[in-house]
Amino acid sequence: MKYVDEFRDPILIRQAAEEIRRLTDPGRHYRFMEVCGGHTHAIYRFALSDLLPDNIELVHGPGCPVCVLPMGRVDDGLSLAQDPRVILTAFGDMMRVPGRGGSPLEHKARGADVRMVYSPLDALKLAEAHPDREVVFFAIGFETTAPSTALTLRRAKAAGVRNFSVFCNHVTIVPAIRAILDSPDMRVEAFIGPGHVSTVIGCRPYEFIPRDYGKPIVTSGFEPLDVLQSIVMILRQLRAGEARVENQYARVVPWEGNVPALRAMAEVFELRPYFEWRGLGFISQSALGVREGYADYDAERRFRLPGVRVTDPKAAQCGEVLKGVLKPHQCKLFGRECTPEHPIGALMVSSEGACAAYYNFALRKGAPAGV
Amino acid sequence: MSDAALERYGACTLDQDGCVTCGDVAVPARVLALDAAGAQVEDRLGNRAVVAIDFVPETRPGDLLLIHSGVAIARIEGQP
Repeated sequence: MKYVDEFRDPILIRQAAEEIRRLTDPGRHYRFMEVCGGHTHAIYRFALSDLLPDNIELVHGPGCPVCVLPMGRVDDGLSLAQDPRVILTAFGDMMRVPGRGGSPLEHKARGADVRMVYSPLDALKLAEAHPDREVVFFAIGFETTAPSTALTLRRAKAAGVRNFSVFCNHVTIVPAIRAILDSPDMRVEAFIGPGHVSTVIGCRPYEFIPRDYGKPIVTSGFEPLDVLQSIVMILRQLRAGEARVENQYARVVPWEGNVPALRAMAEVFELRPYFEWRGLGFISQSALGVREGYADYDAERRFRLPGVRVTDPKAAQCGEVLKGVLKPHQCKLFGRECTPEHPIGALMVSSEGACAAYYNFALRKGAPAGV
Repeated sequence: MSDAALERYGACTLDQDGCVTCGDVAVPARVLALDAAGAQVEDRLGNRAVVAIDFVPETRPGDLLLIHSGVAIARIEGQP
């Protein structure tokens, strides 16, 4: 048997679960949102909900960048791949995201030059190796990923690479949390805060949540004990009538974040006035665009993009699931038309997506009726 | 090399091609050596990669880093 890490130690986990029971008021219903898809994944994978009292409900948040990217942006990115000069590069999880005319992988199968990369730096290397082609990186991700794109553009500019650009779809987590807090159909009492996003941005950006909305947020690690400890910390705050930002994941998250990474992002990116999020609609100042100083590396300036707007399939209820109003299995398409093999909604595409996580892990224990 | 200390920071490894973009997926890895390209790192399964360390200055061999899309985003302090 493999070494069992202390963050999966069954005794410690049982103790944390007991502490949660002790702190829970049986006459009260609690709704906590885990912002990150990674937490959603951990909650399903380790069946953490089973350790919680029935009156604690975990709601899945918008923290999966693939899931919140509107289909129109996928189509815009894929339109670039129709140009025979272009090599379109993307992360692996982006390759299966469906646009109207199929996913990047399907476009590749039809002859488009679409390639998977592990890092935008690999896409830059590809550009250097193919000076006769135009290499475009389909950039998505929250503040964890944006620094790597910023670093890549810095290096491209410093090296004078002329055939590289980025189709920038980076989003920022704080406006999304604010949009959820302002949403009339969303009621959460506290947040399990992002872990690795917070290694970059730190904890300070969350201070508006207790200050303006009176709700606690605890940045959390991804091991089972991390998530349970974060719930303990939230319950202690609620019991004491407090609302603060707390850092459960201090072994990785500095309160001030990663300053060199934040500087690089500020140098290369600027906030877009607004950006569309799948399921949440247009949110002001919620995404990053490329600054004028790096305009030559901005695919949106370099190429003519169609600016596609696509309405999600009416039957798919991604928006409600994304906001935590519906559980994945309550969507009409879940497990029938929409499966990880044939995803219709983006939440089923990424392994961090709430629907895929629910499908892969929760269903093993017993499928809801009709699935 | 079996590096149990890395397991305290998540189960992800360098050979995964899954959800890179999600802010949650950062791979814990130990620095083996430094060179002009950055740091050569090794994860708990022995997978190796060269990663950029521009955002984690003063990285040294033996340090534990969190890697995201080919770039170190944090050094794990107080590591065992």
